[in-house]
Amino acid sequence: MALSLMLRNGTKLRGIAGLQKCTFNVQKTQNFTQFLNQDNYKTLSLVNKCKTQFINVAQQSKRNMSADHGKLWTLEKIVSLALLGIVPATFLFCNPLLDDLFALATVIHFHWGLEACVIDYIRPIIVGPVLPKIALLLLYVISATTLGGLLYFNHTQIGIGRAFRQFWCISE
Amino acid sequence: MALLLRLTGNQLLRHQSKTLCKFVRPVTLKPSQYVPPVQMGHDERNMKLGRPQSPHLTIYKPQLTAMLSISHRATGIVLAGYAVMFSLAAVWLECPIEYYIEQIRCAELGPACIFGIKFTLAFPLLYHFWNGIRHLLWDTGRFLTIKEVYLTGWTMLAVTIASAIVLSGY
Ligand code: HEM
Repeated sequence: MALSLMLRNGTKLRGIAGLQKCTFNVQKTQNFTQFLNQDNYKTLSLVNKCKTQFINVAQQSKRNMSADHGKLWTLEKIVSLALLGIVPATFLFCNPLLDDLFALATVIHFHWGLEACVIDYIRPIIVGPVLPKIALLLLYVISATTLGGLLYFNHTQIGIGRAFRQFWCISE
Repeated sequence: MALLLRLTGNQLLRHQSKTLCKFVRPVTLKPSQYVPPVQMGHDERNMKLGRPQSPHLTIYKPQLTAMLSISHRATGIVLAGYAVMFSLAAVWLECPIEYYIEQIRCAELGPACIFGIKFTLAFPLLYHFWNGIRHLLWDTGRFLTIKEVYLTGWTMLAVTIASAIVLSGY
């Protein structure tokens, strides 16, 4: 949870710094384009390329809640990929380490997943500026307590893997 | 970067100084009050213009692609719900879990009911698992043509239903 917090805020801060640089660059390139005419295809395309690139970056930082989601995206995919192995392994092998890994990876993964849902559906333009913040805060509380509960279960009882295996043997 | 831009700018000015003359015309400048441009977000503008929400769900025919996509989100939310409930139960319930499993066993629910319970647990996980593979493959840039999206979609659905039935009957 702390890791996710740090990552989010890290990208936000870097995004703000980048935004100033970008708007500055956009203004510069726009000034240059005023002097262009058809005779100068080469420089035109070059400057245009720069311009669109800068504008894209600037627009992205304005649109998204966190300016640069690139690094977090990679981490999200790594966790998803890990779950692909951890989830079957947990129920197959009933290992205490796997149980904890399952709890950790699952909670991190669904926290990011639900965060995407909150951002998509609880939008400030529809519900006002306060409710989205409360919803995100609530999500952090839910994710943290869920992780705590799952780890507590793993360490005081038989573990997630064995629990589901026993339940699956119910009809025998 | 600034240096680079300035250099290219100077180059441009020098190159163009002759052609620029063609466009010279008298201009009168008059100062006026600065009016800041209206800041409007994408959603705001759409609402003001009365545009429908995209995708326009009420006029779109339900298609496999959209249905599988929203199901991935739905199963993800359901699984998260299971995890939260399991965690709450682990903290709140007083007896160890073996006790409750034994209670269910003694209730003699019958095979159909037990199959139903297991299916309710297994189906969302297996759907999300198999479709998650599809998502991760897309993220590496594979299987992105419409034909492939449909092919992997139907395949995933068949594998999910088959594996959920087998696992629930186990
Ligand atoms: C079994 C291995 C799993 C894999 C391979 C997997 C994979 C994925 C992927 C790739 C996504 C992103 C979908 C997208 O790009 O829009 C996703 C979303 C999500 N997953 Fe999983 N997942 C797994 C298990 C789980 C579990 C156990 C839970 C819950 C406890 C869960 C909850 C979610 C949620 C809530 C979302 C967000 C849905 C959305 O934003 O549309 N996943 N999953």
